[in-house]
Amino acid sequence: MSLQAYPSIVQVPLVGFLSWLVPGLGHILLGHRTRGLVCMVTIIATFWCGVAIGSVQGTVAPHYRKLWFVAQLGTGGNTLAAYALHLAVSPESAKSSKPVLVSHWMSAEVGVHYTGVAGLLNLLVILDAMARSEPFKAGGRRRRQLSRGFP
Amino acid sequence: MTAMLASLFTTAMELSGRQRFFLMLPLCLSIAIVYKAIRNDSMQRFPIGVLTLWVTIVMGLVAVGGGLWVLFRIMV
Repeated sequence: MSLQAYPSIVQVPLVGFLSWLVPGLGHILLGHRTRGLVCMVTIIATFWCGVAIGSVQGTVAPHYRKLWFVAQLGTGGNTLAAYALHLAVSPESAKSSKPVLVSHWMSAEVGVHYTGVAGLLNLLVILDAMARSEPFKAGGRRRRQLSRGFP
Repeated sequence: MTAMLASLFTTAMELSGRQRFFLMLPLCLSIAIVYKAIRNDSMQRFPIGVLTLWVTIVMGLVAVGGGLWVLFRIMV
């Protein structure tokens, strides 16, 4: 499946959405396989390492950590999966606006930083994928740069 | 198997203060990898670029942390 065949008006939002859902997927479908795989593995590993460090109850808590949750939403598919796990494990703490005492505060803080940074990094990846997908923006020198090096 | 996998993400790790600082290293590495994957045009320069950026970020954070610690010691 390649996205190159789609008109740019469809391609740009589609690439953005796919990159948001699964980090790096937009790059892979645009033909930048290595770049997409590197981003995918790094962002997914960072996010789930953060969840493993701080526990899903302590890190992905939209009512208690609102702003961090917004940052985590940058990597949409992972955050939604983690929130679904949180709801399955402990539905009352998922909707609580008080801190969840399942982990030491230090573990939870480190986990939140990992997941938040993963979300913000994916924001960069989404914007990069959208910039690469738009044919008229990738003209001239930029197009030559993009087609060189990374496959 | 599923329960074991789920418990990995529902049980938090016990961290000490010193371990917390070492966990900064993989996080900085992630930032360096993603940034260089986006910015680098050549795969050949990718590993060295990641290493350089990683060291720069870590050294910068250590310098800022050390500076703030000295300031704290002087003022308190």
